[in-house]
Amino acid sequence: MLVARSSPFGSTTRTGVLIALRLLDESYPRELARVLEQPLFAVQRALAGLEKDGLVAAVTTGRTRLYRINPRYFALKELSDFVGRLAEPEESLRAKVESLRRRPRRTGKRL
Amino acid sequence: MKLNEKSTLQDVAVAVSQALETAGIRAVLTGGGIATIHTRGDYKSEDLDFIIQSGPTQAQLDAALKNIGFERSGDHYEHATTRFFVEFPPGPLSIGRDIAIRPEQVKVGRSRVLALSPTDSCRDRLAAFYFWNDRQSLDVAVRIGLREKIDLDAIQRWSETEGMADRFREFERLLDRRRGRKVPSHQKRG
Repeated sequence: MLVARSSPFGSTTRTGVLIALRLLDESYPRELARVLEQPLFAVQRALAGLEKDGLVAAVTTGRTRLYRINPRYFALKELSDFVGRLAEPEESLRAKVESLRRRPRRTGKRL
Repeated sequence: MKLNEKSTLQDVAVAVSQALETAGIRAVLTGGGIATIHTRGDYKSEDLDFIIQSGPTQAQLDAALKNIGFERSGDHYEHATTRFFVEFPPGPLSIGRDIAIRPEQVKVGRSRVLALSPTDSCRDRLAAFYFWNDRQSLDVAVRIGLREKIDLDAIQRWSETEGMADRFREFERLLDRRRGRKVPSHQKRG
């Protein structure tokens, strides 16, 4: 369970989503729900709110909506710095993110 | 102006702008809608994004748009007859890190609409290319440059502050190349 030290973005889930996206660069709701140990609907609701506020943006890849901190947000650098700072004490979240494999795996290679 | 199924995006932009102005709501047309106008229809958007610069309540906004037949559906407004829809993305009016945007009264038919200038509309499309690698937006930025007078020096300076000097050069090369030949015919875009 994510223990956010504070929830400056309105709720611990919203803050957690931003921290996770800051660490992952981009992600999808189910992955975010896994790393944040939050119900999928809560993550989806947080993403919808953050998207409405312009803090995150998403592109559709196949059937997946891939979210990231909105690169066109006017205060992107400040937001990214702030969220990055919030991520520092979140050791368990960072450990979860670090356990995710993001590098490619050759097609057909045995797991 | 009564909107119907034959209304163009330009008609809708004028109607919405006038309805908002009448209600005392200051809003700036941005995004694909103003790009459609600046490219004289070479690019065809079906949504109109307005950034609100005053502080209306949701009820005031709903009422203003209801006067011309738009009803809120989720986070956008739809009309019973025209296919164009209206959205109000969150502000502030910005292009990348730049928030010192000065909208202008853009001539649309016999009316005027508060909107991004051609240079700012071009930058707005380039931002989508720079940050999302959206090449359709690069194409639209070039089309704006072909149709309207744009301040390339200002765009270059802004691109450099965004750390996108390389991508600006790609835009500039493409613009130069297309200026030397006929613009491709109209293409329908979603």
